[in-house]
Order: sequence, then C-alpha cells, then structure tokens
Amino acid sequence: MLTSFGRAFRTPELRNKILFTLAIMALFRLGSHIPTPGISFDLVKKCQEAATGSGSLLGLANLFSGGALLQLSIFALGIMPYITASIIVQLLTVVIPRFEQLKKEGQSGQAKMTQYTRYLTIALALLQSSTLITAARNPSSILGGSPATCSTIMPDDSIPTILIMIITLTAATGLIMWLGEQVTERGIGNGMSLLILTAVAASVPQSIWAIRDQGWGKFLIVVVMGLAITTAVVFVENSQRRIPVQYAKRMIGRRSYGGTTTYIPLKVNMANVIPIIFATSLLSLPMLVAQFQGSSTNPPKWVEIINTYFARGDHPLYMAVYTVLIVFFTFFYVSITYQPDEVADNLKQAGSFIPGVRAGSSTAKYLSYVLNRITTVGAIYIAVLALIPLIALALVNANQNFPFGGASILILVGVGLETVKQVDSKLQQHNYEGFLR
Amino acid sequence: MADNDAATSTAVAGERERRGFFGRILLFVRQVIDEMRKVVYPTRDELTSFTIAVLVFLAVIMAYVNGLDWMFTRAVSWVFGSG
Repeated sequence: MLTSFGRAFRTPELRNKILFTLAIMALFRLGSHIPTPGISFDLVKKCQEAATGSGSLLGLANLFSGGALLQLSIFALGIMPYITASIIVQLLTVVIPRFEQLKKEGQSGQAKMTQYTRYLTIALALLQSSTLITAARNPSSILGGSPATCSTIMPDDSIPTILIMIITLTAATGLIMWLGEQVTERGIGNGMSLLILTAVAASVPQSIWAIRDQGWGKFLIVVVMGLAITTAVVFVENSQRRIPVQYAKRMIGRRSYGGTTTYIPLKVNMANVIPIIFATSLLSLPMLVAQFQGSSTNPPKWVEIINTYFARGDHPLYMAVYTVLIVFFTFFYVSITYQPDEVADNLKQAGSFIPGVRAGSSTAKYLSYVLNRITTVGAIYIAVLALIPLIALALVNANQNFPFGGASILILVGVGLETVKQVDSKLQQHNYEGFLR
Repeated sequence: MADNDAATSTAVAGERERRGFFGRILLFVRQVIDEMRKVVYPTRDELTSFTIAVLVFLAVIMAYVNGLDWMFTRAVSWVFGSG
C-alpha cells in the first residue's frame, strides 16, 4: 500500500492528476488569504489581535472556510454555498415532480440539475455575502472584541464600495465552485469534499496543538481518540455485504460463455461522509444567520434559542438534532444514489441472476430489503462515530480549543480514505492496462 | 446458496401482517442482525494498511496546506500590510 504511493508518482497519468489537485488546493488557500477590496488588512489584523481570548464566534462556518471567513478574504464564504445548494437541489428531487423527472432522464437531466445547483449557489452566495458585508460594518459583532478596539475595518463604507465587495465575494464563490468541479473532473477524488478537507486541514493542526497547553495528558487523549476513530471509519468503510450473482451459461457457436459467479458489493455505509458534511453544514446555517443578528442589544427570541442550543457542539439538544440529521441523510443519500430497480434491470439484461431470487421486480425487492437493513446499521454507526468525539472532547474539556472537533476529524478521515482508495484503484487500473498491452 | 433465502423477503409481507407494532420492530431488528452476519468484514491486514495509508495521506496534506498557509500569510502581509 505504501510503496504504491511511490509508484503513483511514476505513472504519468496519475502524477498529472495528483499535481493538478495539489495546484487547485494551493489556489484555494491563496484566495483564502487575499483580502477583499475595501477591507483594510491592517485593521482586520488589529481587530483579530484585540479579540484573542474571546474566541471566534462563527466557529463552524469559519472552520469550513479554513479561517477565511474571519479574515474577510475573497474566499470568505468558502465552499459552503455550493454544499447548501446541492443539498437543496437533492432534497427537491423528492419533493418537486419536475426535478424527479429530470433525475430519471439520465445524462441530460443531470446536466440540467447541475445547472440549477450552480444558479442556486450564486443566489445563496449573493445572500450570504450581503449579510456578511453588512455585518462587517460593525466588525466587533463578528470578529469579537470590544467596539472600542475594533470600530471599523472598512476605510470607506459608501454604497459603491460595498457593492464591489458583495460582487467580489459572490464571484469568488462561483470560482470556488468551478475549482471544485475541476477537481472532480480532472483531479482526484470528489472536488467538494476535497476542498472541505483543505479548509479543515488548515485549522486542525493548530487546534490540536493548542490542546497541549492544557497538559500533555489531554493532548494524548485527543490523539489516541483520533487514531481510534480513523480505525473505526476504515473498518466500516471496508465492510460490505456481498450478494452472489450467477451468470447464465450461453453457447455461442461451439464455445460456452459465462456460467461464472461474482457478487454485488453493498457497502454497510454507502453514503460515506456525505451525511456528516450535510448535517454539519445544515446545522451551521441557523448559527450563521443568528450571528449576524446577535450584535443588536435586544435580539429576537429565535436568535437567543439558537445561541443557547446550537452555538456549541456539546449541548445535548444539538447532539440529538445532529444524530437525527445524520441518520436521515444517510438513508436519503443511499436512496438517491443506489437504485435497486436499475441494478435489477442491468442484471436481467446481462443474463445474470441472484440465486434463489427471480429476475425483475423480485430482485429489486430483494436488493432494497438487504440495503435497508444494512444501511440501518451503517447510519447508526456513523451517527455514533460522529458523537464520540463531541462527547469525549467535552469530557476532557478541550472543547473551547477544538470546537466541532468531531465533525472535523470525521471529515478528515472520511475524505482521506475516499481519496486514498481512489488513488489505489486508479493505480491498479493502470497496472492492469500495462499488463495487458 | 443457503445464504440467499429468498423465502425471507417474500414471507416478510405476510408475517408483518400478523404482528403488532413492537413485533414488527422486533422482526426488523432480527432481520438486521441476520443481514449483518452475512457482511464480509475487513481482515486485520487490510485494516492496518488502510489506516496507515489514511494517516500518512492526512499528514502529507496537513503539512502541505499549512506550509502554503505559512507562505501566503507572509506574502499577503508583505503586500497589503503597512508595517
């Protein structure tokens, strides 16, 4: 496995893909540092220094943007609008008949849905950037610190400047979306997950290192927990239910073909980290909205509710909602991506069958029977896995240094495993080709 | 292929009718356990090699991203900063 990493760089096709992905990641990080026009870099820095100790209030959203949000850089919104948009579009496929029809259309319908996702991303980006810029006129509300030390970060807050800022942030979000799609298309792994990985990877080492200040014991506990979670994730990802498939024997001329047995692999957790990413980003939305409201002296009731229950990752109510969302998204995502009817059709056309099950609708029924029962375990497992770090971090009291550590560890490991697996399979594919020619 | 009892999936509907609410949940749990027994789990070797690969990958990515960050922070404050 490890030697294959070295080999990965020696096969030109794979090397290009890896280098391309790394270059996109570098661009993504670069954009997270360039300040938005109209924002004074020096003033933001001064505000951040003044605010140390009070902690970042926008926690999760900031984490997902890799620290860009609180620097008010051009990539401040990060990949979040894109994720939100794709969640919404996927949800709509169940609700709106037109979307459902598009999904059934196959290739062309898929293209249409991608288009809708992009439009929605831009709309969301416009909304979020306007909120962010409006809130940034009173910077102490989002950066923390007192209004005295941090009164303004915009030297010029006339309407044209603000419009330029909003347009810049929206355009930059469009650019991030494009970068993500480029990675999916020409690089390695899923672009969206890989950009989140980049953002999370930028802030996690510091957070882990900061725990050391509370003593080496706690630091060790967090590291051991990370290792345990990694092993657990690998274990679940590699467990699969194999459904035997028998190919019918056919005589063509004097030779017989087929008659072999294979299996359909059904992974216990087919949805991978997607439910976690969806659940965490969905839960961070109300927080984001509430945060921009929170600066007012007399906030509305719902802002108070969100601030008490959802601003931290260790409140029981937050955990409960989080668990329910993860379980829901697991089933939802599996039902969207895996169609038993289609698989049954394919089997029938290939002249193969599951021993003991009739072809056609009984096969589809059997597949969804197995799938539902396996996914039940997969969903519960992922939810428990997501809760362990939350609880453990709260127990060792490392929460203020490592907010939402659970989600970040799981995203790191999940996306990491997915990418490693893809590199591995690409490598095998390549070697087989080399073998045959 | 004893592992593919088609009878279970066809008999499910009939059996479900006869049971109450909790009986149905119990049946479902039993079926889940039944299916989980047939799951193929990774071997110890697979588990360790994949875990190590993921850890190495993450270490490399974190080093890369943080190296970039260090560079970009310097570059940006050199370009945009005043002091």
